[in-house]
Amino acid sequence: MTADIEIRNVSKHFGAMSVLEDLSLSIKAREFIVFLGPSGCGKSTLLRMIAGLETVDSGEIAINDQRIDHLPPGKRGIAMVFQSYALYPHMTVRDNMAFGLENIGVSRQVIDARINEAARILEMPHLLERKPGQLSGGQRQRVAIGRAIVKEPKAFLFDEPLSNLDAALRTRTRIELAQLHQRLQSTMIFVTHDQVEAMTLADRIVVMNNRKIEQIGSPMEIYDRPATKFVAGFVGAPAMNFVAATLDRSGGNAKVKFADGMAVQTEIASNLLTDGKCTFGIRSEDVRIVPAGQGDADGVVDVLERLGERTLIYARLGDGLQVVGSDAGNSCVTVGDKVGLAFDGKKSHLFNEAGRAWHAGEAWHG
Amino acid sequence: MSIPATSIKGKAFGDRVLLVLVILLSIVMIAPVLWVIGLSLKDNAELMADPNSVFHAPYTLKNYVNTVGTSSVFIWVRNSIIVSGGLTLGTLILSSLAGYGFARLNFPGRHVLFVIVLFGLAVPEQAVLVARHQIFSVLKFHNTYPGLILPGLSASFGVFLMTQYFKAIPKELDEAAMLDNASRFRIFWKVLLPLTVPAQATLGIFTFLGAWNDYLWPLISATNKDMYTLTVGMASTQTNFAQSEGIGFLMAQAVFAGAPILIVYLFFQKYIVTAVSGAAVR
Repeated sequence: MTADIEIRNVSKHFGAMSVLEDLSLSIKAREFIVFLGPSGCGKSTLLRMIAGLETVDSGEIAINDQRIDHLPPGKRGIAMVFQSYALYPHMTVRDNMAFGLENIGVSRQVIDARINEAARILEMPHLLERKPGQLSGGQRQRVAIGRAIVKEPKAFLFDEPLSNLDAALRTRTRIELAQLHQRLQSTMIFVTHDQVEAMTLADRIVVMNNRKIEQIGSPMEIYDRPATKFVAGFVGAPAMNFVAATLDRSGGNAKVKFADGMAVQTEIASNLLTDGKCTFGIRSEDVRIVPAGQGDADGVVDVLERLGERTLIYARLGDGLQVVGSDAGNSCVTVGDKVGLAFDGKKSHLFNEAGRAWHAGEAWHG
Repeated sequence: MSIPATSIKGKAFGDRVLLVLVILLSIVMIAPVLWVIGLSLKDNAELMADPNSVFHAPYTLKNYVNTVGTSSVFIWVRNSIIVSGGLTLGTLILSSLAGYGFARLNFPGRHVLFVIVLFGLAVPEQAVLVARHQIFSVLKFHNTYPGLILPGLSASFGVFLMTQYFKAIPKELDEAAMLDNASRFRIFWKVLLPLTVPAQATLGIFTFLGAWNDYLWPLISATNKDMYTLTVGMASTQTNFAQSEGIGFLMAQAVFAGAPILIVYLFFQKYIVTAVSGAAVR
């Protein structure tokens, strides 16, 4: 069972405080959608509105063309996995999974069959008679997912379900969730503030900020062509480098000039841009480390982060701005060295004062 | 890191002092109980002649035989069990429902109502005795079980305790149950109420013990000897019959009277300790 979910012009207020403003979104059947954004951006509220745990002040939500925003949570045909798992502590794992099915009058035989199948999928038949207090965090996570699976919902909602797991378990569970999505082919909506989770799990990411959707797109669209400066800065680790600059539109492609007089030739068509101040953006992997004097700018190395396959170099420019570049894994650069930074103009981004973006090789993307 | 030897010695000395104190306190606590049991096993005439005879033989079960044969103590024990049990059950039901309502339901005037309930904690029973007596007289509740049980059901402390306990349960459990298509009552009954068992045990124990030991209201409401609770009945024998029937007989009654509550203590010892220690750290 799967679901198209349509969110139309939805708004939400808590008292005088606006939480979501006129938000619209279409989610296709079998899609894995991730709501990504910082704390307080409204992503969890939106998820809870889909679940029916928050009312919709205005607008409507439909599943498979049927409005559901007036229905109680249990009648919407969806299942949710909570950040805290929300397992019933006094019930065994089996009873936790059976509870929802008992409430809708499913026969004992069917309940047992579904529980056994879910337990097999999640490799936890040996946990069925235990109580949540006897389980590890990872096992509780599995039970919470199992409780959702047995309901055979039209859509799964996940509210930051990995945030209570340690790093190794989080990575493993992430992969298992991706496999689960492939196996079940259900619509899944996943809320997180972790961009790695979003990039690795999503078919499409909905980046949210300050009560609104900033951008909707595939992970690589979001990464390569961020619609706004916020998206560019929020998605990607380390965050994109931003340098204040002025535009020189005299050539076919724009050239940017930095405060210290250095300049970078971009591949962004000049005729798309307007004169004035802008922010030049470039990701760390597009900033090569070269000998001092041979790049677009020189800087002194502040910090090294050796990631194995590459080394991140944090260099401070003459005007005090820190820029992150990328060097080989076995880089010989050491802290305090003076290095050159070569910006790849073909991968550069420009942001106007309102934060809207232009990217090398294409028109305004908003 | 090593611990200095002097520190270990000091700790051991402190432990010994504590142990001696605990033993002394235990003797202070248990001595009256042993005294009661000792007196109950002595012949009345012998006690009248020499109170110190309790320390040596002969001992007799005559007082117990007399108690079983002539005393109303069993009726009073029965009354106390009915009143304390009914009051405990009623308090648990009402406090749980009210606590759930205050903790989870949004309704107009909730905060004001909660403050009014809490205000009940500040009103001493003596302040409402006359009014309550008159109301119960009109309703003909005196010398009935409802007359002894109903006043205790307005348990402000119980409502407060259960409200706080329900508030401490994560709301995600309610939400998960809502998504599991459970009705509000089913969420209360199947999901939340079982999680409040520790609070129920605390409240139940305190309520039962309070009702068992209550003297003032039963003394006023129960004027018929057959409706006496144990405390009132025992007091009546001590004032009226102590001289004629003797101290040994009275003590045998006291042993019978204390037995049920001793059984409660034995069975619920774990919960009582938890409840008392919980109340201490709150």
